[in-house]
Amino acid sequence: MPDLLIDNLHIHFDGVIALDDVSLTVKSGEIFSLIGPNGSGKSTLFNCINGFNRPRKGAIRFGGINLLRKKTHEIPLLGIARTFQNLQNVPYMTVLDNVLLGAHLRISKRDTVKRWLSRKQRVAEEALALEIMDLLGIANFERKYLLGQPFGIRKLVEIARALVSRPKLILLDEPAAGMNDQETIEIAKIITEIRNELGITVLVVEHDMRLVMRISDRICVLDSGKVITIGKPDEVKQHPEVVKVFLGEGTDA
Amino acid sequence: MKGRYEDEKLFWIPVLIAAVFLLPFLLKGMTNSYRYYLYVLNIAGIYMILTVGLDLLSGYTGLISLGHAAFFAIGAYLSAILVDQGGLPFELSLIIAPLLTGLFGLVIGFPALRLEGMYLGLATMGFGFIVKRMIIALRQWTQGSNGLQVSSPHIFGFTFRNDWDNYFLIYTGVVLTVVIARRMVRSKLGRAFMAIRDSERAAEAVGIRLAKYKMISFFISGVFAGFAGVLFAHTSHFISTDHFDILLSVYFIIMILVGGVGSIYGAVLGALFIVLLDNLAIPLFKDWLQTFITVEAGDIQSLIFGLIMFLFIIFQPTGLYGLWLKVRIYWKLFPFNPRKRFS
Repeated sequence: MPDLLIDNLHIHFDGVIALDDVSLTVKSGEIFSLIGPNGSGKSTLFNCINGFNRPRKGAIRFGGINLLRKKTHEIPLLGIARTFQNLQNVPYMTVLDNVLLGAHLRISKRDTVKRWLSRKQRVAEEALALEIMDLLGIANFERKYLLGQPFGIRKLVEIARALVSRPKLILLDEPAAGMNDQETIEIAKIITEIRNELGITVLVVEHDMRLVMRISDRICVLDSGKVITIGKPDEVKQHPEVVKVFLGEGTDA
Repeated sequence: MKGRYEDEKLFWIPVLIAAVFLLPFLLKGMTNSYRYYLYVLNIAGIYMILTVGLDLLSGYTGLISLGHAAFFAIGAYLSAILVDQGGLPFELSLIIAPLLTGLFGLVIGFPALRLEGMYLGLATMGFGFIVKRMIIALRQWTQGSNGLQVSSPHIFGFTFRNDWDNYFLIYTGVVLTVVIARRMVRSKLGRAFMAIRDSERAAEAVGIRLAKYKMISFFISGVFAGFAGVLFAHTSHFISTDHFDILLSVYFIIMILVGGVGSIYGAVLGALFIVLLDNLAIPLFKDWLQTFITVEAGDIQSLIFGLIMFLFIIFQPTGLYGLWLKVRIYWKLFPFNPRKRFS
């Protein structure tokens, strides 16, 4: 599996510098966390990888391909899936269909035509999603409309949608935001499972420091678009500037 | 692996289809004026085909169209011209004219890639006006505003002569349309449409090409509208530009609103409801009102349609189909039916 190389990425919006010469490498098979205060450019970095934002300078390489040259809808084709901080799912579709949406590129035209004619193909298509839904523990919700499902479930549906495309790299944008302690523990378990059992590289933006410290292999701290430090959780925790800008004084997370 | 379709009650679908085709016999046995009822049902059937297509575009993909009467007109005129002046067999025209109408859908789909909401509504409305003027201008083929006589449908040696015959032709079309549309919306295609409607970002992030799928939606919608147009031209035997007014486009929107936006059965129910109301209920109401004041049929129609749309948007935004779903849940849970569920 390829590494994700981010090289001197620079982007600004009308004078606000969102990312200032950011360089980092996410190694294959790693759980890599991005942390930083609000407005430090974490989500912007995701949006650059994903093609929603177009940086002026720099490069993002994944398996030798510069992602900045690709259109947004071509990114998943390279094996990069993402979730959103503000849930982006389809309320008037069942949970199962929402997950299957992620399998868009895995279902060929021929399969779709076959599906119109044969029930077997329909069941086969659903099996793609149910496999992942079992892993996340939401298989019981398959037939329910997403509308009216609790926030925790919708969050998991979002992750399942990204996973069902069988990505090589998954970008999780604040997976634990708005979750209670119990659900956060669940999320931590899921993220480790994604890496250990499915072998997917994970890049995660998160504010919950306990979660980040527990699951990450390496952490990158961003502040005002600049990389402050990159390192193992313990090293990052000790870094004086990190303590100052982000963790605050007296926090022993 | 257990699948969602295992426990779906497919039993009712053949029953429903059989009921549709037995209805004319029932009507014939019950009343002498059955021919009029069949005529009304035929109109409803043609509109059902169109509204299903419109629902795929506006309900599922979220692209509003106020110009669907134009696609309807294109389908009707194309088939009339191809069959009567070009000598094309009706069977072929039934396939070719809708496909050509779909291509017109692609033409109007291009600006749609850059327009949203109200602006798209206005653009498609403009398209409606252009088509109407073009039909009048192409006098050589269309007879301008005089209207055009059209031959009867003729399939493999059988000629559909009256409303009785037409009923079977049209409702075969309706059944086909509904089945095809249902299959589409439950497949990858339908999921892509709904994702575009609810979250363009999510759609792009899973690899859906927005432009491509919006164009496909316009094409399919155009094909259905064209198909409805072909049936309309040949079963009503006379078409003129007066039929394809902007008001008709608005009525199509009312139909899908009343039926329930974003559901195929809803579109069918909406078309049926509005056409029955227009042809059966409104004349009665007008006669009753006539005993007090002088009124024109058109005034009453606009008044009632406006009122119905208003009431549905406020009290029943999920439409008739949503109402049916509620009733079904109510009876399923019957002894335990906390009223709160339905507030």
